[in-house]
Amino acid sequence: MEPIRPDPGAAEPDDADLNVLLTRVGRGDQAAFEAVYDRVAPPVYGLIRRVLRDAAQSEEVSQETLLEVWRTAARFDPARGSAVTWVMTIAHRRAVDRVRSETAAAQRENRVAAEAVPAAPDEVAETVEASLEAERVRRCLDGLTDLQRESITLAYYSGYSYPQVASALGVALGTIKTRIRDGLKRLRDCLGVAW
Amino acid sequence: MRIPRLPLRRAIHDLAGAYALDALDGAELARFERHLATCRTCPDEVRGFTATAAALGLAAAATPPPSLKGRVLADVAVLAGARAVDAEIAALLTEPDARVASAATAAGGSATVVASSRAAAVVFTSVGLPELPPASVYELWFIGTGGARPAGLVPAASGAGAATPPLRAPGLEPGDAVGVTVEPAGGSAAPTTTPIVVLALR
Repeated sequence: MEPIRPDPGAAEPDDADLNVLLTRVGRGDQAAFEAVYDRVAPPVYGLIRRVLRDAAQSEEVSQETLLEVWRTAARFDPARGSAVTWVMTIAHRRAVDRVRSETAAAQRENRVAAEAVPAAPDEVAETVEASLEAERVRRCLDGLTDLQRESITLAYYSGYSYPQVASALGVALGTIKTRIRDGLKRLRDCLGVAW
Repeated sequence: MRIPRLPLRRAIHDLAGAYALDALDGAELARFERHLATCRTCPDEVRGFTATAAALGLAAAATPPPSLKGRVLADVAVLAGARAVDAEIAALLTEPDARVASAATAAGGSATVVASSRAAAVVFTSVGLPELPPASVYELWFIGTGGARPAGLVPAASGAGAATPPLRAPGLEPGDAVGVTVEPAGGSAAPTTTPIVVLALR
């Protein structure tokens, strides 16, 4: 297979470059924006597609996310986190907003409550690209308890609110809260996340 | 005897995980954000969790449709040009509450709107709308509970496939969506055709 662009999972080593590029975008530099686009569009689109499933909606929300990156880059502060985290946070927030408004619309249409809960997720391993980063994340997810892993993947990859996670898994709200937090701590330490 | 406060504090700390995964809504989200503003240990924990969540996102990377890049860069070029040329448009684009909505249109191409409730206005642009015969125009509408209100005529693009110059439309009301129809030259007071796109402003 001939790669068309660098492996998206391999974007990590030049976090510092991306911070510099995003700072330039904040000053209105369109060439820097194009470089940022090339680096972040695959994870942005991949994550949104993962949450929303629908290809057309995923494209719309990706476009909105990338324009928001352009528009608000001046607010990015490298002291508070990396550029890639900043971008992925916007992408996830927007995907979840879309899921929640779709759910609200479905409820307005008087569908039964069960149908209003988003579709069940596929296994992480099925859609994750065969990149080093994905492999690392998969290994760390495997190190969690089943309940920690299911809670985190339903919330993050399917856009469930934590009460939706609790009802999908048939577990008390308080339990889900602590499992998500404990699971994220373990995941953070396993991934060696710097922040 | 002091009332033990520990269980309650512990309960609100536990929300840090759900918060970093965007899994909190409404009153609980507001409650945690108030707590976050005064909590000494939470910001670090939330930062670490947010970076962890981003790693989960990176692991889902997939190649986007090739057409996405052209549309995004065209929108950015329009917004960048607008920023430089028109002070009113520039002011709207930098409003803290400005939101971007974008969608493909039924006629082809894509439409993008930046909306600010504070400015009570939107900036509209589009890429790749089909060229219209001289007797027709694209008209922008605010669509609220009371129906559609005219929001201005979309300026023509410089050529096929090009971006339309930014249109600033005042008169945005809470709850409005923004739509586009094809109308006779000069525009209409109410839409006479089905919208080719409706953008919800969330």
